[in-house]
Amino acid sequence: MERNQETNMTRSWMASVLTDIHFWVPVAVLMGGLLLLRFIR
Amino acid sequence: MPPDSSSQFQPAIQDASRSKKLQLLGILSGFAAGAWLGAAEAPTKLVSIGISPMVISLIMVIGVFLARWSLPALILGTSSVRADVRRAPHLVIWALLAGCLWAVANTLTIFAIRDIGLSIAFPLWNSNSLLGILWGFLFFNELRQAGWRRRAGVLGGALVMCVGATLLAIASSGRGPAAHSLHGVWAALGAGILWGTMYIPYRKAYLTGMNPLSFVTFFSFGELGMMTVLSVSSLGLAPLWQELLSARSVIFWLMLGGFVWVIGDVFQQYAAKYVGISRGIPLSNSNQLWGLLWGILVFGELHGRSSSIYLEVIGGSLLMMLGVGAIAFSSATGQEQTRWKEAAIRESDRYGVAADFVEARMDGRQLLGEAKPSRSALDWLLVVAATSVFLIFGAMARVPQMSLHWGPAALLTAVLFLLLVISGLALWRTTRFN
Repeated sequence: MERNQETNMTRSWMASVLTDIHFWVPVAVLMGGLLLLRFIR
Repeated sequence: MPPDSSSQFQPAIQDASRSKKLQLLGILSGFAAGAWLGAAEAPTKLVSIGISPMVISLIMVIGVFLARWSLPALILGTSSVRADVRRAPHLVIWALLAGCLWAVANTLTIFAIRDIGLSIAFPLWNSNSLLGILWGFLFFNELRQAGWRRRAGVLGGALVMCVGATLLAIASSGRGPAAHSLHGVWAALGAGILWGTMYIPYRKAYLTGMNPLSFVTFFSFGELGMMTVLSVSSLGLAPLWQELLSARSVIFWLMLGGFVWVIGDVFQQYAAKYVGISRGIPLSNSNQLWGLLWGILVFGELHGRSSSIYLEVIGGSLLMMLGVGAIAFSSATGQEQTRWKEAAIRESDRYGVAADFVEARMDGRQLLGEAKPSRSALDWLLVVAATSVFLIFGAMARVPQMSLHWGPAALLTAVLFLLLVISGLALWRTTRFN
């Protein structure tokens, strides 16, 4: 019961992170940075 | 009818003097951050050329990793880090993301300096403060209802600092760029964008109540993990190991640079927490001024150069100081801080973090009834282990053969420690490092 609750909470904050636009801005910038690094090298 | 969560943030009488004190604390932290981040360049100057830039960066990050685990353990204890993670587990993801952004930005900087030289690369990535102001405004209600004077102070100050930084960078570049390559410009701009965006996770963490000391602990995993991946993919495992072995006599100096950098970064985190990223980043960017002071006074970098170079240095320094002053005198008003609190309410609602906890942490204090952080045997073990690693590499280190001006070095070091003591005591007395 307690473990289920913990799993639900983890899912819940994970979903909150993944649906947060603030999260995707740094992710997109990081991907861009990695691509740029690959292009430069 | 469900209670309005915003009401939990509005005590009957807002403690205006406390808020003012926290603003001053943030500004003081920004100044200390600039000084320590600038000084972090000094140990790396002791390292002779001939080591891959990727290896230099990796060793510095290892020093950073050790410092980022031992300093929080020494100051508050890892129990405080664990308590923060239990309250806001999502912030671990943000800290890892910020660490990855830092590692890629740092690597891009190395390529930028190689391709276009310091004079063009430095001002380009210094633009990160302008991007930080934009993100702070768009996402975290910073500079909202701040009034035109304060907005002009922050924006104008950041712009003036960029101009000053350009002058300093031109003056401090010993020679022309190695190659005028478009790649280098892209790399410098990319690094500026990555660094400016890295402050989104910073602000996110502090609006949700995370302690800066907890944040940097997880940040280091993203940083070291990404740096290791980049180094291995760039050089290969066996050549990387060989380079590390051949560099063992200078590992200590590079790790020391990383250690000094962490102290600056911890102050930068407190600045971002208490004055926001729009003011905290430009204040920390004064590190260029401090780096130049070390270069000129201790390493004699501009010795024998023309008077026009000295004019550029004096002009650039004055502009940097003017910009810093403009930002420092544009602290957030009560109305703007109310907008910050609205952003904090939004975050605590979204991530289910207790509103009273967020409010207490934004106010730099502990929650009523919250257990006081304490150090355990594990914390002392971490401190001893990190110190031992430094001592081992210190014993292997070779004292570099180069002329140093010890008088200015002692003076600058004294100023550094003075700022450390003043800012550290102020943080301790006002917030107990919360």
